[in-house]
Amino acid sequence: MKDIDKLKQFGAYTDEGLSRCFGNTDFYLKLVDMALADPNFDKLQSSLSNEDYSAAFEAAHALKGVLGNLSLTPMYNLASDMCEQLRPRQKVDCTAQAQRLIDLKKELETL
Amino acid sequence: MEKFIESTEIRRKVLVTDDEVINREMLKMILSRDYDVDCACNGEEALNMLRQGSYSLLLLDLLMPVLDGFGVIERCAHDEQLKNVPIIVMTSEKSAEVKSIRMGAADFITEPYDMPEVILARCDRIITLSESRTIISSTERDDLTNLYTRGYFFAYINRMLPNIECNMDAVVINLDRFHLVNELFGRPEGDRMLRETAGLISERLVGDKGIACRTEADSFYVFCVHRDNYEEALVDIQREIEARTGAKSVRIRAGVYKNIECGQDVESCYRRAKTACDRLRGGFGAHTEVYDNDMHEKELFDERLISDFSRSLENGEFKVYFQPKYNIESDVPKLSSAEALVRWTHPEFGFISPGQFIPLFEKNGLIRQLDEFVWDKAAAQVKQWQDEMEFTLPVSVNVSRVDAFDPLLSQKLTGIIDRHGITRDSLLLEITESACSEDSARFVEIVNDLREKGFKIEMDDFGSGYSSLNMLTSIPIDAIKLDMYFIRNMLTDETAFRLVKLVVDVSDFLGVPVVAEGVEKQEQLTVLKAMGCEVIQGYYFSPPKPPENITALIEKEIYDERHR
Repeated sequence: MKDIDKLKQFGAYTDEGLSRCFGNTDFYLKLVDMALADPNFDKLQSSLSNEDYSAAFEAAHALKGVLGNLSLTPMYNLASDMCEQLRPRQKVDCTAQAQRLIDLKKELETL
Repeated sequence: MEKFIESTEIRRKVLVTDDEVINREMLKMILSRDYDVDCACNGEEALNMLRQGSYSLLLLDLLMPVLDGFGVIERCAHDEQLKNVPIIVMTSEKSAEVKSIRMGAADFITEPYDMPEVILARCDRIITLSESRTIISSTERDDLTNLYTRGYFFAYINRMLPNIECNMDAVVINLDRFHLVNELFGRPEGDRMLRETAGLISERLVGDKGIACRTEADSFYVFCVHRDNYEEALVDIQREIEARTGAKSVRIRAGVYKNIECGQDVESCYRRAKTACDRLRGGFGAHTEVYDNDMHEKELFDERLISDFSRSLENGEFKVYFQPKYNIESDVPKLSSAEALVRWTHPEFGFISPGQFIPLFEKNGLIRQLDEFVWDKAAAQVKQWQDEMEFTLPVSVNVSRVDAFDPLLSQKLTGIIDRHGITRDSLLLEITESACSEDSARFVEIVNDLREKGFKIEMDDFGSGYSSLNMLTSIPIDAIKLDMYFIRNMLTDETAFRLVKLVVDVSDFLGVPVVAEGVEKQEQLTVLKAMGCEVIQGYYFSPPKPPENITALIEKEIYDERHR
């Protein structure tokens, strides 16, 4: 069961994320769970392996928005970097970052 | 009534549009403190919801599937109903902020979101600004009749509605043939009639619980206590107007939407009442019509057509057909050009008459996209016939009222011409006469500009609007297309016959060819030819056909030319 302390240890700026939810912890944690089910994680990986950089940019951009709003900072930073690299929608190697993002997602899931 | 108009705080409705559920949920949580919040997950859904509810604000994500945020801003800007809804865009991109503000967004919220208080303050500021602008831009009372003005009328109803215990109706009243009073007896007399009508409406319909406004020239909106029957009151008002002004030709008509419910979008109730009122236009029977199920069905159908439009355009459900025009000056008719006409085969409803969807798309601005599609296809077809058959068949395309006043019109047309490598005189532009009556000075400028660039202009539907014959002397055009109503009726209706003859004579004097549309019978052709009409379009020669069928007509023309 996730709680705010575990999220803090994970590196999330929970105070900031919580304040966007008027301090409602349950609501915030529910949104974090929903974020983990976001189909853009899969879309990012599959579009990178298909070399569809336009779709990869869209997925990274969407994840950046969601992770930023929830202040899941370590993941947000990665999504943000990938977003900038993918912005020209041209071939770029960011599979390592994508893998790191998925690893962090898994880590968050097991909290 | 006035006591209701004391400020009653209304909880406003805002629409959040974002494809990410988490962002939607978070914003909904934040905004619900001060507003009623609805959500849409793409641009197309947002536009549909905006049309159905009265929203005070749209919060809009930019990168979305189906229709992105920029597309929504653009569509709202060109939509009469939506252009006043303020938009706040949500973005993490600096460049997108600037672009969206330039396109008409009121403000932006950066991602990740600011503190909730900041977001709420920004929303509040934009809503207040937008509402003040509406109020500043209109005064409370109409100078002429002392009724409310439209903006205040709706603002007051929205405040009153939650506090009224009895059932209230929306009534739209119009004076048929009012323009004749202004034209025949002068403006002061017309103004007197409007004042008298306003007085009678207030006295006989509004009562002490209702209010009324004048929305435009001869159109009045009334918010009044429900009654089962309005006919008697309308007959009474009609009789009084005649007695007080002596005008017999003007006829009052009213459309009614019964029992407005609290929470209902009030403006849409009046749109429905207006739909009912429009049904009575030009009639001589009853003075009142109540908005009913049939009209509701039609409205739902219209909404469906609007929401299906973009997808249909992408899926190739719209096709361009061509109807040939023949020059009849010599004994053997000569194929001279063709008109491009759009056809829509809907996957569910099958063939939909252009008479159903074109006026609808003209109203909400979608016609621009559709027209541009037709221009492009028509130009491509002209080029194809040139390449494959070494024959130039000029094609005329419709330029609707909305397009005519688009500042980018000539740029768009030039782009199409250049892209397809055809000449300007092979894409003829048919501009409807009613565009001219809207703003004739501007219209002359537009036509002059297009003609200077080498385009040929045909005035379409001539005779259907209010334009007078002397307009022909002031507007430089290359052809006149007579409204098909006159052609269809000229053999049975003396007035129609005379009008056709007069237009042909005046045009002949001015050296402008007349195109007669809707010619179906040999007798019509014979009469028109005797009058001196030069070009004929209609089922007599051919219905609108897909391009491959026109190819056969071109082949025949080439053959005839060789053997002439």
